[in-house]
Amino acid sequence: MLARTLLAALPVLLIFGPLLPGLYWALTPALDTSVWQALWLDAQWPQALRATLISSVLSTVLACSIAAVLATLHYPGPVWLTLQRRLPLLLSVPHAAFAVGLFFLIAPSGWLARLVAQGLHWTSPPDWVTVQDPYALSLALALAIKESWFLLWVLAAVLGEQAVSRQMVMGRSLGYSRTQTWALILWPQLLPRLVWPVMAVFAYGLSVVDMAIILGPGTPPTLAVLVWRWLTDPDPAFQARGSAASMVLLAVLLGCVLAARGLWWLAMRQRPYPNGQRKPATGLAWRHLYTPLYLTGYAVVAMLLLWSVAQAWFFPALWPDAVSLASWQQADWTPFWTTLWLALVASGLCLPAVLVWLEWGPQRLNALLYLPLIVPALPLVAGQYASLLHLHLDGTAVALVWSHLLWVLPYMVLTLIGPYRAFDGRLMTSARALGYSPWHACLSVKWPCLLRPMLATLAVGFAVSVAQYLPTLFAGGGRFVTVTTEAVALSAGGNRRVLAVQALLQIALPMAAFGLAAAAAYGLGRHRKGLR
Amino acid sequence: MLNIKNLTLSNGDKSLFTDFSLVVDHGEVVTLTGVSGSGKSTLLSWMIGDLDPHFVATGELWLNNERCDTRPIEARHIGLLFQNDLLFPHLSVGQNLAFALPASVRGAPARRQRTAETLSSIGLAGFHDRDPATLSGGQRARVSLMRTLLAEPQALLLDEPFSKLDAVLRTQFRAFVFEQIALQRIPTLLVTHDPADVPQKGRVVEISDWQHST
Repeated sequence: MLARTLLAALPVLLIFGPLLPGLYWALTPALDTSVWQALWLDAQWPQALRATLISSVLSTVLACSIAAVLATLHYPGPVWLTLQRRLPLLLSVPHAAFAVGLFFLIAPSGWLARLVAQGLHWTSPPDWVTVQDPYALSLALALAIKESWFLLWVLAAVLGEQAVSRQMVMGRSLGYSRTQTWALILWPQLLPRLVWPVMAVFAYGLSVVDMAIILGPGTPPTLAVLVWRWLTDPDPAFQARGSAASMVLLAVLLGCVLAARGLWWLAMRQRPYPNGQRKPATGLAWRHLYTPLYLTGYAVVAMLLLWSVAQAWFFPALWPDAVSLASWQQADWTPFWTTLWLALVASGLCLPAVLVWLEWGPQRLNALLYLPLIVPALPLVAGQYASLLHLHLDGTAVALVWSHLLWVLPYMVLTLIGPYRAFDGRLMTSARALGYSPWHACLSVKWPCLLRPMLATLAVGFAVSVAQYLPTLFAGGGRFVTVTTEAVALSAGGNRRVLAVQALLQIALPMAAFGLAAAAAYGLGRHRKGLR
Repeated sequence: MLNIKNLTLSNGDKSLFTDFSLVVDHGEVVTLTGVSGSGKSTLLSWMIGDLDPHFVATGELWLNNERCDTRPIEARHIGLLFQNDLLFPHLSVGQNLAFALPASVRGAPARRQRTAETLSSIGLAGFHDRDPATLSGGQRARVSLMRTLLAEPQALLLDEPFSKLDAVLRTQFRAFVFEQIALQRIPTLLVTHDPADVPQKGRVVEISDWQHST
């Protein structure tokens, strides 16, 4: 029994185990007080911290507000169903590609400025700072929109539960409007359940580097970008400063989580005795908030498509003066192939690991598995890199794949765990009663029955790997270029056409994965309606 | 008086009911029976105002001489009781009742007293601050009926309210429900597939009589 549990946990141990000494090596330099003094006196530090705090806190608050307002206004109703149908497509756009497209949209020479220029007869881009602003507001906006889709998707899953939807009907049948039922019945119950997704959003915003390079401030950049530069500096003093600053990111996360907990506790204590006041339905003024939300998603992809085929496209023109496929014909496909094999290997390796973990692994430790999702990525990446250096594996393909697994695995577990737990255990009992061993019963009954959720899980793992930026840079030692690292690198240059092509390739890969998974699931399910 | 006039419910080309009409008088309990999947729950969700958008309904719902099928759920004054008690888990037992109590009972002390009295009247004195999850199935069923009734509904819809209870509790709770309904003279529609649930001399409507044989 114990041997089987250990065997099932072995892949997870291989992914997480080497990280621990790495974290020790990477973070101990920060234990020296002189390092903290140097950090404190660093000229870039105060502004970098300010930009990080603004972008992460503001984006999380905004994303939560957008998701909360939309849910309150439109659930239950036809708009909510439409929104739910459109979310998967929006979600499959990776962060970096979204940032590039949004840049093309809102930059001073971007499409929105061109639209205004048509009316006001401008001939040159306005003198405004709409992207890479020192307060990281454009970065906050980008993160807020992108993460609001994720939170809406999480909410949609929770609201799909019958117990929750019936409480809405019950609250309303007692005479309360939809808004009041949300405020008094649903939110107090749902908010504690949304703690982890919101924490993941906040942690992501704290340590995001790819989007911050594209949309965030330049000198000084956000703290995450600064940490990344320090950690990769050849000078050990700067590396130590990077370790110290990455601990600051962790401390900010903990501080904000504790503050949120405290506020929640206060709010719950202050909750008044139900007074029975029924208020008429309101909130009509906000009705169309959802349209700009997904229009932004479509506009971002449209911008990338337009730039990828534009030949000449000078400022006030709304549409390219001439189009050609030259950018596509001259495109560098090496990053595409690297990303493809990397994502295939990473998700392919993780699927069996996830299956044995869910079947025989110690399920009580699932929370540990999810840690990489709610902790800033920078200290983890630094730990991985330190371990790889000690093993002399940095810059190898094995190291690259291994570094991705730390994020691919938890997302895949998270996707598969619901369908896996929902599987009717009696089918396994029947198979065992017919004389099959546990292993054989899994292979011939349980796993084939779960093929469709497994395909979706593979697609999620694939998409997560495609979107990785920091692990690719660190573990790959700069020797491997993926569409993500290429798009971010190109964003510093002036060639928007080449950049648009790489960003589109970054979108195309996960979309193809989700499309293939859906098509295969459809094909499998055609003759077996009982398979879900 | 609850009045369904010429209801036709369909899902695409498949029609669930054609030209269904029903009158339920004050204090009367009409039982609606039919095999599972026959559309009983769909009918209830149309009456409450929560019809799945895949369905198309024509027909009218009248309550005390006012048309209410055009109103949102919260303006219909129709009370609901499901087979799962659906007490709100984040509120105490008493707060669940206070949530339903009309605003005309003013001030927290008065409201608290009123809910405490209600709890005593159903044999649950001293249960005000209890977590609903710590109550037994029968206790939860009683609290949830009282919650529905405290909102002073003008009609009541019961969706298999007894099916989750064991045999002894079932008989007791059934008697309790019918007693409360008779006391408050509320027109009630009861959906069930168990003939034992039908009250004495109660009218029974078989749903298949309004359905096309396919």
